[in-house]
Amino acid sequence: MGFKMLALESHNLRKSYGRGKRRFEAVRGVSLSILPGQVLAFLGPNGAGKTTTIKMIAGLIRPDAGWVKISGADPHRQPQALKGVGAVLEGNRNLYWRLTPLENLEYFGVLRQMPRQAAKVRAKALLAAFGLEDKRQVPVQKLSRGMQQKIAIAAALIHEPQLLLLDEPTLGLDVESGETVKEFVRQVAASGCAILLTTHQLNVAEELSDRVAIIRQGEIVAEQSTQALIKQFSKGTYRIEFEGALSEAQRSAIAALGATLSDHHIHYSLDSLDSLDSLDSLAAKSSDQTSSHRHSAILYKILSLLDPLPLVEVRQDRADLTDVFLQFTQNKDNSFSNPQQEASTRQKKDKKDG
Amino acid sequence: MAELTNLLIAELKRTWIQTLRYPSEVVGGVVILTAVFYGIFLSTQYVAGPASTFGDRLDAVVVGYVIWTLVLYIVNDIANNLQLEAQTGTLEQVFLSPFGASKVFLVRAIASLSLRILLIGIVLAIIIAITGSQLAFPPILLLPLATLLLSAYGLAFFIGAFALVLKKVQQVLGLFQFVLLFLLAAPTEDLSGSARIAANLLPILPSTGLLRDLMAKGEGLNWQEWLVALANGLIYFALGILVFRWAESRAKRQGSLGGY
Repeated sequence: MGFKMLALESHNLRKSYGRGKRRFEAVRGVSLSILPGQVLAFLGPNGAGKTTTIKMIAGLIRPDAGWVKISGADPHRQPQALKGVGAVLEGNRNLYWRLTPLENLEYFGVLRQMPRQAAKVRAKALLAAFGLEDKRQVPVQKLSRGMQQKIAIAAALIHEPQLLLLDEPTLGLDVESGETVKEFVRQVAASGCAILLTTHQLNVAEELSDRVAIIRQGEIVAEQSTQALIKQFSKGTYRIEFEGALSEAQRSAIAALGATLSDHHIHYSLDSLDSLDSLDSLAAKSSDQTSSHRHSAILYKILSLLDPLPLVEVRQDRADLTDVFLQFTQNKDNSFSNPQQEASTRQKKDKKDG
Repeated sequence: MAELTNLLIAELKRTWIQTLRYPSEVVGGVVILTAVFYGIFLSTQYVAGPASTFGDRLDAVVVGYVIWTLVLYIVNDIANNLQLEAQTGTLEQVFLSPFGASKVFLVRAIASLSLRILLIGIVLAIIIAITGSQLAFPPILLLPLATLLLSAYGLAFFIGAFALVLKKVQQVLGLFQFVLLFLLAAPTEDLSGSARIAANLLPILPSTGLLRDLMAKGEGLNWQEWLVALANGLIYFALGILVFRWAESRAKRQGSLGGY
C-alpha cells in the first residue's frame, strides 16, 4: 500500500479566551486527521469548541499551542498552505450578493491565486455540476437560499482544495436543497477532497461521514469510524414478530435461550448471551467464533423453534448517530475519554441493571 | 507579480460591477457630489482655509476640495471595507486568501480609488460645464499627489488596524475628518525651523504644501521638498502596513477576525 499524505493533520490544538478569572479554555488538546477523500463529521453541542477548532485549522484563529498541517503545510506560517483549503463558514453569506454566481466564482478563484482564465473555466464547470448554469448571470441575492449555499460551496471548491471545511452546510435548507448539497458533498469527497463537516443535523452527518469526532467542552471524547461507533452503541436487540400461538414447550425453549416473549413478539438482546448458563454448551462450541456469529446461531435457533409459524418481521434495533451523540454529550461527569472503554462499561452496567 | 496583476483586474471588475449594477446609486452619488462641489465652489472660504495661502482662484479651491474628499475616501476605505465585509459575511473568505490580507486590501483600495476618481472626474466635468472654470492639471502635479496617496494609504491601513482590533471605529473615523482637514489645509509650507521639521514628520503635510505651491501659488516643484514628501509617504505607508499586520495577528490571537 502506497503512502498517502494526510489532507489535514492537527495536533494538540489549544485555545483560551479572556484573562484572569474570566479565562476559559475553548479548545483543549484537539487532534484531528483526515485522509484525502474522507468525510469527517465534527460534532458537538453549541459552545463545545467546533468553530474555534475549524477556524484554527483555516488559519483564522491562532492556536495557543499545537499545530495544523494542510497537505503538509502550516497555514499559520505558510500562507501558500491556504491554497489547499476551501471553507464555507456558518452564519456567513460567503458570497458577494451583487455579483452573479459566475462572477463570484471567478473572483474567488483569483483570490486563491488561480489564473483568471482557469478560474472562469472551472467556474463554468462547477456551475454545470451544481445544475446552476441557467442562473449564472443572475445576481446571487435574487437566488434561493439553497442555490446560494450551493454557490458558496462551489466558491470554496473553485481552486480545487485538498481540504474543504463545511460548517453547517445544510442549515436552513429545504429538503430538496439539503439533498442536493448532500449529494454534492459525496461527489466532492469521491473526487479525493477531504471534508471536515460540522452539523447539528445528525442524520446528515450519519449519511455523509466516514468518521465521526465528537467534541465536548473543548475536548474530543470520541473519534472513530461512523459505522463502528454506531455499531458499538447499538444494543443489538433483535425483534421478531410472528403470527399464531406458541406451545408451552416452544415458549420455555425460547426463554431458555435468553429471549423475552410477548403474544406475538420475541425480543432477543445480545447482552443476555454471556450470562446464560443454559447456553454454556453453545457458547463453548462457538468460543472461537466471533460474537456476531454466536448471536446469529442463537437467532437461528429461536427461528427454528418458531417453525412453522408465519413470520411477520425480523429486525435488529440499531442505534443512530443521535443516540451516540447524546450519550457522549449528555454525560456530565468527565470520567471517560475512551469511547470503547465507556461503551464496554455501559454494556456491563446495562447487564447488571437488567 | 502576474498573480497580483490578476488580483488587481479581478478587484477592479468586482468593484465596478458591484457599483454599476445599480446605476441609480451611481447617479445619486454623482448628483450629491456635484451639489456639494457646487456649494463649495460658491462659498470658497469654508474649505480652502485662509485665502492668502490657498489663493483666491476658484479652480484651485475645487481641486483642493477634490483632493480632500479623495484622501478622506482613501483613509476611510480600508476600515469601511473591513466593516462592510464583516457585515455581509465575506471578510473571513478574504483572510483565507494566500495573498495575505494586507495585499488584498491594498489592491482593493486601489481598485475602489479608480472608481472614485472616475466619479469625481464626471463631477468635475459637470462643474466645469456649469461654471466655465478652467482647471489646469500640470503633469508634475502627479508627483506630490503620489506621495500624498502613499501617506494616505498608510493612514488607511492604520485605521483599518483599529477597525480590526477595536471593531467599532465610526466615531474615530468621524473625528479623523477634522484631523485630515488640518493636515490638508494647515499652511505648514510657510513654517520654518523646528516647527517645519515637526510638520515634515506628520503624515500628508509635506505633500499638501507642495500641492499648494503648484496649484495655488503657481510655483514650480521644489525637488528637495518632494524627496522629504516621498520619504514621509514611504515611511507612513510602511508603518501602516506593519501596524495592520500586527492588528491582523492580534485579531487572530483574540479569535475576533470575523466579528463586528
